[in-house]
Amino acid sequence: MASQTYDAIVIGSGITGGWAAKELSEKGLRTLVLEAGRPINPDTDYVEHVPVWEKRFRGMGDRWRETETQAVQQKCSAFDEWCGKFFVNDKENPYTTDPDKPFLWIRGRQVGGRSIMWGRQSYRWSDLDFEANQSEGIATDWPIRYKDIAPWYEYVEDFIGVSGQPEGLPQLPDGKFLPPMEMMCAELAVKDAIATQFAGERLMTIGRAAILTRPHRGRAPCHYCGPCQRGCITRSYFSSLNSTLPAARATGKVTVRPYSVAHSLIFDSKTQKASGVRVIDGETRQALEFRGRIIFLCASTLESTRILLNSATPEFPNGLANSSGELGHNLMDHTMGGGATGHIPGNEDRITLGHRPNGIYVPRFRNVKTKDARFVRGYGYQGGGWRQNWEHGADLAGFGADFKRRLSRPGPWMFTFYGFGECLPNHNNYIELDQARVDAWGIPILKIHCAWGDNERLLLKDMPAAAAEMLAAAGAHDIEPFIEDNAPGLTIHEMGTARMGRDPKTSVLNEHNQAHDVKNLFVTDGSCMASSACVNPSLTYMALTARACDHAVGSMKRGEL
Amino acid sequence: MERRDALKLLAGAAMLPLLSRDTLAFFREVHEQLPATSALKTLNPHQDVTITTIAELIIPQTNTPGAKAARVNEFIDLILTEWYDEKERGRFLAGLADVDSRSQTLFGKNFVECPEKQQTEILRELDEELTISRPVGAFDSRPRRRTAPPEGNFFFMMKQLTLVGYYTSEIGFEQELHEEIIPPRHAGCVPIEDESNGR
Repeated sequence: MASQTYDAIVIGSGITGGWAAKELSEKGLRTLVLEAGRPINPDTDYVEHVPVWEKRFRGMGDRWRETETQAVQQKCSAFDEWCGKFFVNDKENPYTTDPDKPFLWIRGRQVGGRSIMWGRQSYRWSDLDFEANQSEGIATDWPIRYKDIAPWYEYVEDFIGVSGQPEGLPQLPDGKFLPPMEMMCAELAVKDAIATQFAGERLMTIGRAAILTRPHRGRAPCHYCGPCQRGCITRSYFSSLNSTLPAARATGKVTVRPYSVAHSLIFDSKTQKASGVRVIDGETRQALEFRGRIIFLCASTLESTRILLNSATPEFPNGLANSSGELGHNLMDHTMGGGATGHIPGNEDRITLGHRPNGIYVPRFRNVKTKDARFVRGYGYQGGGWRQNWEHGADLAGFGADFKRRLSRPGPWMFTFYGFGECLPNHNNYIELDQARVDAWGIPILKIHCAWGDNERLLLKDMPAAAAEMLAAAGAHDIEPFIEDNAPGLTIHEMGTARMGRDPKTSVLNEHNQAHDVKNLFVTDGSCMASSACVNPSLTYMALTARACDHAVGSMKRGEL
Repeated sequence: MERRDALKLLAGAAMLPLLSRDTLAFFREVHEQLPATSALKTLNPHQDVTITTIAELIIPQTNTPGAKAARVNEFIDLILTEWYDEKERGRFLAGLADVDSRSQTLFGKNFVECPEKQQTEILRELDEELTISRPVGAFDSRPRRRTAPPEGNFFFMMKQLTLVGYYTSEIGFEQELHEEIIPPRHAGCVPIEDESNGR
């Protein structure tokens, strides 16, 4: 069994793994990045410019192959005939749930992880979020506040490039923004109506997206081809492949090892530290070991906790670093899918040029200035405008030359609000190892127990009504409110299961994402989250990762690790 | 210039101002190879000519090519063979046979043997039935990529497949819609200026 020693081992090469690799290597540490999946060569693997007529099923997807091998993955809205290859094979990567509690686990195993297909929306949390658990007596208090993370938000934004519009809202702090993307005609109309009729309560801004609107740190601005989830040869949106991993590699101190499926961590009972990682080689199935002075778990919320659960020792019979008993618990995902759509009159002679890979955002307005009696916390809306096109054609009456002419012209302006609500931490939403089954690499799979609670259901129920109000304010007609019944997981904002906290008795990680029980172990992906807020979480994961790296290297230099 | 060299240019900040649309177009050289046209697998010659005729009536040649030029029949054969399940395929082919039954009843000959005026009459009848059978309020604000065809309606399936087959063909995409994979520029809200619809 081969064994090699590094200063640091990072498990995962996605959004947080890429950041850990960059920060640790730039601070001088010889760093090994273990990635479970295959290497990605942007030159040949990115397919954003492959024309639809070169796809066998013209964008309709390889229905039966997908049903057979990617039954869960294909439910993701970013999954398509081009980029399906960036999502896992569900047969190789099984998991189980309770029969009446479906959970959709969307995954990407390759260098870059899910940062290749992520939604790119990048929002800061505020103290409204960090203080919520404490002020409402829910779960456990966050060990940090906005002031602790604010400089790290700025540090991360400055490196990755986030375009957006400052709005001066306390509940959604402004970042260090590149110029905002432009709104479409229907969006401008809706924005103005909200500003007039909901002044002081609601506001609509352009999505804050990790997509460049001007040259930034050697990366080119967006060229508006549209489908970012298929890759980006100009590296205009943030992914670890496009941004942090090249920076990490430039230090000459990083080794990225693909096909390295982390099995478990090795715990040294003498030092009470994690001394390394057991790995199954994804190609040869050979068992390997790698040694490191510090270990960063950045494998994604559920995978990182799975590795800890699979690393039980006599000292930690229920999973490594689990003296609190909270490891695996408090799984969250944003509740999404309440909203409304309507026709926005006017602007028939105007259009949008190019395919803007971003939408609009209505920041949370419930329980911000006044308390809502129905529920705690709140939700925000994403969405935006578009003009109907030929894809709507089969729903229209007619055929022939006039029909063809009509379909070649832009249809009515439409607008959709689509809500994303906060999910409360709940001890009864948890994951455990299902010892009866293993994945393709012989590693025990997860059994996921997760269901929406009353508060999430009440938030979801409020979304269509409040969305319809805003559309009505904009003079929309044919307003159609909707509520989707989405299983947890599909929002792909799964978080929790190794929460940060002040008390080692009730939390897994301290204020620096450091395991209370195992001082050289850091977990910086979504598993660290003590609550979920209602905004897209990736920017916060990145900021926490950079902050944890700073603390870890400082501790090493002070001889504490 | 090799694509690899162009990538190096992109990586250098100094070169960014030179990043022109032509340079970007260079990256369209990532192509996926599809097999050359092969023989139809599901449609027999009579069904094929019927499908080709109906598709061309839905999207005819005007000042731009129509469904026949875009070889929509081949796309429909592929979907029938490799995408539809047996029930959907059966419904589609039964609906196709019904088109001939209707033309036999009305005009005493098969659909493809009818003059265009009579063919149009039959399609108008099918389209009107579709309008009636379409559920009110079925508009999906967040359309799914792959929705199963609505129960039983041949003409809805036919229309849908014709539109997908046509507008996702090189002809439909470039000549009819004037779409470009890499747009000339981005703007949020501008007047439509020409026949390219501002795209």
